[in-house]
Amino acid sequence: MEILVLLIPLSLLLVGAAAWMFLWAVNNGQFDALDRHAFDILDDDSGEEKQ
Amino acid sequence: MTLSTISVGDMHCAGCVGKVERALAALDGVLATHVNAARRQVLVEHDDATDPAVLLERIEAAGFHPHLTGSAEHSDSQRDLLKRLGVAGLAMMQVMMAAIALYAGALDEMAPAYRRLLELASLVFCIPVVSYSAMPFFVGALRSWRSGLNMDVPIALAIACAFSVSLAHTLSGSGDVYYDSVVMFTFLLLTARYIDDRLKQRFEHSNARLAAMPAEATVIENGIRRRAAIAAIEPGSEVWVGEGEQVPVDGLLGANPAVLDESALTGESVWVRRASGEQVFAGTLNQGAGFSLISNAPADRSRIAQIADLANRAQAEKPVVAQYADRIAGYFVPVVLMLAGLTWIVWQQLDPSRAFVAMLTVLVVSCPCALSLATPAAITAAMTRLRQVGVVLTRSSVLEQMRDLNAALLDKTGTLTIHTPKLVAIDLPAGSSLDEAEALDVAAALQRHASHPLARAFPEPQAARVEDVTVVSGAGVSGRWQGHDVRVGSSEFCTGTPDPDAYRVVLSIDGVTAARFALADPVRADAHAAIAALKRAGIAVTMVSGDSEARCASLARELDVPFVAQQAPETKLEVTRTLQQRGDRVLVLGDGINDVPALAAADVSAAVLESSDLVKRNADVLLLTRRLGALPELVTVGRRCGRIIRQNLAWALGYNLLAIPTAALGLMPPWVAALGMASSSTLVMLNAARLLGGTGAEDTAPEDR
Repeated sequence: MEILVLLIPLSLLLVGAAAWMFLWAVNNGQFDALDRHAFDILDDDSGEEKQ
Repeated sequence: MTLSTISVGDMHCAGCVGKVERALAALDGVLATHVNAARRQVLVEHDDATDPAVLLERIEAAGFHPHLTGSAEHSDSQRDLLKRLGVAGLAMMQVMMAAIALYAGALDEMAPAYRRLLELASLVFCIPVVSYSAMPFFVGALRSWRSGLNMDVPIALAIACAFSVSLAHTLSGSGDVYYDSVVMFTFLLLTARYIDDRLKQRFEHSNARLAAMPAEATVIENGIRRRAAIAAIEPGSEVWVGEGEQVPVDGLLGANPAVLDESALTGESVWVRRASGEQVFAGTLNQGAGFSLISNAPADRSRIAQIADLANRAQAEKPVVAQYADRIAGYFVPVVLMLAGLTWIVWQQLDPSRAFVAMLTVLVVSCPCALSLATPAAITAAMTRLRQVGVVLTRSSVLEQMRDLNAALLDKTGTLTIHTPKLVAIDLPAGSSLDEAEALDVAAALQRHASHPLARAFPEPQAARVEDVTVVSGAGVSGRWQGHDVRVGSSEFCTGTPDPDAYRVVLSIDGVTAARFALADPVRADAHAAIAALKRAGIAVTMVSGDSEARCASLARELDVPFVAQQAPETKLEVTRTLQQRGDRVLVLGDGINDVPALAAADVSAAVLESSDLVKRNADVLLLTRRLGALPELVTVGRRCGRIIRQNLAWALGYNLLAIPTAALGLMPPWVAALGMASSSTLVMLNAARLLGGTGAEDTAPEDR
């Protein structure tokens, strides 16, 4: 059971990192248009790759 | 020069418009302002040196609350909600794990040191949830303190109580902790709120497509192209629409034909070809080569602007439903707070150690969120769904009326049929000097000069040449062909006697009938399927028309509906009233001014896109699509919406009636209360979201063109 003393603070750090990554993703607009990308394949001229 | 579009939400009256205009005109660098009072928008032309922020300040100084349109306000609020939800979710996973260990440990005699460690860990994970994720509830509760209690109050109280008691117990090292309940409660409530937000956003998107117009367009003046503000384009000016651009104003097509995506107007994604001289509408997308058009309506009177205004009317009405729900919550919340207090007092007498838990449980379990979400969520979802199939509601109460609807009166011309007549047969009397092709050619050569709608049924003339053409309005066209006097038009005009068989167009040579043309209005392609679907929905369909008995009969046979022919506007009203006196709830679908009395009397009035403006202004429902299938879709969605609202209300009420006594008796642990309450809200939202799904076959019917 002593391992808890190590694991619980460790989980704190991991969750902190996960939360930071999540917030970063949201702020960068990763979740802004969840429906849009399904239609990208039908769209002939909006791909940035072309340029 | 730069253009800025500024929304001024509180600019309601003509006086306000004047104030805003004066405030801006006094500013250096402002070249012109155009105010659209209906949309509460100001379009400002200013030089590049002027910062839009200065314009906003100026309008604010005049006592309004402006903001730049197209600002990312909504997406920000959604990101914000998502972040709060994510933080709560991550914390919930951890706190739940600790909670399981704690519950198991309570049975298994866990060492106090580990117990304390787990409690402290839960506390640490709980702090961001309470101080960040749950913030909207605290803010909402504080705000409602003045204006009457809303549902945020018991939520905020429950979270604050449970957290502070748990905190005290953790610090003192004795007593139970409720971190798991706090975190789960917050997370599930935020989930319900997030779904609600997404439903609303989808509805706004579908409406925003109506209002999303570019600010500038290319105007051609004396052969020179220049950019100009759309609001400043006068009717009669020539406008250039480039490849892939949005048509900025309503107008008639110039020399080039156009391929247009009219889905913003009609909901139909099939591209439409428009020939030179045809009417095109603002808001449609140019999918072909560039073309020019002659504007024939100012930008704020364009069809799309009018529809947007009507749709806004429905939206403005929506809060009434929400207010109603909030009023229920308003009665409910004080009762809940009193019940919670009462529970505490009673348990203090019986068993003080359980008083706090029982009170907390009542507080958590009885939040009337589900109750106040039940109606607005379903209505928003239904209206979004209908927008997708090209139906705009101008009154949201239409949805509730669909349940009792059992009769429909459909106007024939222009509603069941398309306005463009079609030539169906040519009849040559015995002894006619012409064959069919010749007769058609001569008639076509004459009709080319007429502007009557019936003339459009004739093809382009091939070989026939006519001279001395005279158009007699309301009668026909006369001319000279190969030295003979030829006339085409009504039988009376051509031969001096009415035609016994009621052919609508007759060709005569030197006063003798040479050919007779049978014309018919073609039926909308899916009229048959739509009427069958309405009948299946238990709605008695009747066709009413001002047209003659004989012409109605053949169409009525084809569509298998009863009909009333030769109706004047007043008698159409009479038919509606008779049905209503029988206790029927009547929907009237019409398009012309002659339908207005009947539409006004109808329980639900619907108008097709081609209707005259007066009709559209008065209609409860606008069919933007050319498919009549939208009508049964409206009935289906309306009824499903009503059913879902009743399910939601029944669920929310039943749940509360069952849960509150259980909680007050102390039979429910707080975490069960949190789970039950929040999942009941989520269930209500998800139930409403079901309306967004399609109902099937009608979607794929071909467009009627």
